[in-house]
Amino acid sequence: MASVNNRISRTYLTSSPGQTIVAILGVVFGISMYVFMTGFMTGVNNTQTELAFSALAHVHIYNDRPADRSNIIQAVYPDAVVNISHPKIIKYTDGIKNSAAITALLKSQPEITSYTTQVNFNVFFKNTGNKINGTISGVDVQNEDKVFNISKYMVKGNWIDLEKRSDGIILGSELASNLSVSIGDNLNILTADGVSKNYKVIGLFETGVAGTDKIKGYININAARQVQAANAAFVTDIQININDYNQTEGLVNKLAPMVPYKVESWQMANEQLVAGSELRDIIAIAVSLTILLVAGFGIYNIMNMTINQKIKEIAILKAMGFSGNDVTQIFLTEAVIIGIVGGVLGMGFGLLISWVVNRVPFKIANLETLPMTYDWQDYVLAFIFGLIITVIAGYLPALKASKIDPVDIIRG
Amino acid sequence: MTNKIVLKADSIVKYFYEPVKFEVLKKVSFEVKRGEFVALIGKSGSGKSTLLYVLSTMDTDYTGTLELNNEVLTNRKQNELADFRNRNIGFVFQFHYLLPEFSALDNVMLPALKLKKKSKEEIEEAAYKNLGLLGLQEQALKKANRLSGGQQQRVAIARALINEPAIIMGDEPTGNLDSKNTQIVFDIFRELSKERGQTIIAVTHDDDFAANCDRVIEMRDGVII
Repeated sequence: MASVNNRISRTYLTSSPGQTIVAILGVVFGISMYVFMTGFMTGVNNTQTELAFSALAHVHIYNDRPADRSNIIQAVYPDAVVNISHPKIIKYTDGIKNSAAITALLKSQPEITSYTTQVNFNVFFKNTGNKINGTISGVDVQNEDKVFNISKYMVKGNWIDLEKRSDGIILGSELASNLSVSIGDNLNILTADGVSKNYKVIGLFETGVAGTDKIKGYININAARQVQAANAAFVTDIQININDYNQTEGLVNKLAPMVPYKVESWQMANEQLVAGSELRDIIAIAVSLTILLVAGFGIYNIMNMTINQKIKEIAILKAMGFSGNDVTQIFLTEAVIIGIVGGVLGMGFGLLISWVVNRVPFKIANLETLPMTYDWQDYVLAFIFGLIITVIAGYLPALKASKIDPVDIIRG
Repeated sequence: MTNKIVLKADSIVKYFYEPVKFEVLKKVSFEVKRGEFVALIGKSGSGKSTLLYVLSTMDTDYTGTLELNNEVLTNRKQNELADFRNRNIGFVFQFHYLLPEFSALDNVMLPALKLKKKSKEEIEEAAYKNLGLLGLQEQALKKANRLSGGQQQRVAIARALINEPAIIMGDEPTGNLDSKNTQIVFDIFRELSKERGQTIIAVTHDDDFAANCDRVIEMRDGVII
C-alpha cells in the first residue's frame, strides 16, 4: 500500500517538473540562506570576541576601591537627616598581596585553561620632547601569551625576548610612532611616584584595538616590581581564561567567597559586547527563519495549486478504494521529497555561498576577508527546520485533499 | 451458492438540502441477484444517479439499509468503505476519469496495487490480459491522456475489472461514446455478467442499451416504477 502511494507521489512529482523545481528551489533558497546567515553571523561574532579577548581575559581579579561606608548612621536610622562634609574613602592596600595563595587556588580549578599575573601602573612615556601618558603592564611573559595570545600580534621583534630582558620594553605600534621610537631605541618612563627609568624598545605589537595600541607597553613583571618598589609576590591583576568563555558565572561564584578581592567576569565588565553579540544572533535567527517561512508559504501555495488541479483524480482514487489516509500520504510524501531534495541542495548551495563570501576581501583590523564559520550543527539544524516547515506546508493541503468528497466531484 | 443476492437496498431515503430541502429518494427498496445485468433508467432528476452513488457506498448521507455481498454497509467508517469498494466494486464513469499522467497499464494496475492481494508481476500480467480482452494491448504503455475517448473508456473498464469485483457500477458508461464503441462496451458487460457471473448496474439514457439488459429498473420522482 505504501509503495503504490509512493509511486503515485513520484509520478506526480516527475510529470510536472516545472512546479516541482520551483517548490524545491524555494526550499533550497530558504535553507542556503539560513546556513549562510548563521555561518556569517557566527563568524562575525567570533571575530568580535577574538578581538575583544586580545585585551580582555574571561575573568579578572583585582583590588577594587572599598565600598562607601561613610554614612553608617543612615544604615541604622534610615529616616535620620545626616550631614557629613567631605568624606574620604581611602584605599589602604594596593594590589594583591597574597598572590601565591590565589594562584595555587587557581591551579586546582579544572575549568581554568590559563591564567597570568600582572603588575599594571600608569606612566609617562618620554622620548626627548615627546611625552605621552599610558600604562605599563609588567607581565609573566609566557603565561601572558597563553591568556592573550599576544605573540600573534607582534609586528616587530619577538615576544619571548621580554623574558630575558629586564631592560626591554614592547610598545604598541601607534604609541611607538607617536613617540618617534623604533626597535633598538631607548625610552624613558616616569611613574606616578616619581621614579624614572630607561628601557630599550625590543618589540612592537599591533592588536587592531586602537585604545590598546596607542597607550600600552609591556615589560617583564620583575622589572615592574622593581620600578614599583614592591616585593616578589606583588601583583595588581590576575587574568584568567577558562574553557568556555560563556560559562564564567560558575567560576566567579566559586572564587568570590575564597578570594578577598574583586572577581569580575568579562560579561560584567563589558555588557555592550554581550548585548552586541546576542543582538546579532537574534537578527541572524530572525532573518533566516523568515526566509524559511516564506519558502514554506511558497510550498504551501504550490501544493494547494497541485491539489486543486488534481481534485478529480483524488476523487477517482477514492472511488477506486484509496482512503483519506492514502491521499494524505501521497501528497505528504511529495512534500517530504521536496523537503529532502531541497534541503540537501540547500546545504550544498549554502556552503558554496559561504565559501564565496569567505573569500571577499575585507582588510580592517586583523581581518583579511569576511569572517565565516562552517559548523555542521548549523547545517543539520537548517535541514531539520526546512524539513519541518515543508512537512507542515505540505500537510495542510494534503489534509484538505483527504477530505474531498468523491461524490461532489464526480457528479459535478 | 446458497445466497444469490449480491445487492439489497431497503427503504433508502435521501434528501437534498440545497437550494431547498427535497426528498430525492423515497423509500427505495430492491434486490439484485448475482450475474444480473441491470439498467437503471429514468428522466433527469428522477434520482437514478443519486441512487447509484448511494449503492456505490461513496454517498453515505441517507437513511435505510444497504447490503452488498452480504455485508451491511450502512453507518460504516469512510476508510472501511474505501477498502470495501476496492475489493468489491468496479466503477465506470461517463467521463472515463483516468489518471492522465499514468500509462494505461498503470491506470489499470492501481486498484490491484492498492489491494495488494497479488504480487506486482501477477498484477501486471492480469492488467495486460484485461487490456487485451478490450483490444488495447498495443496502447498499454501510452499515457492515458494520449488515448482516444473510446480507448480511454475501455481502459476504465479494464481498471474496473482488475480486482475481479462482485459488482460493476456504471454512470452512463456509454454516454460519451459513438455507436460502435457503445456496442463494444455493451458486449463486454454482457460477457462479464454471463461468463464470469459479475453483477452489472448501469445508469443509462440509451434505450437500446437498456432494452438488451437482463432487467430494467425505471425510476420516476424518487421511486421505482
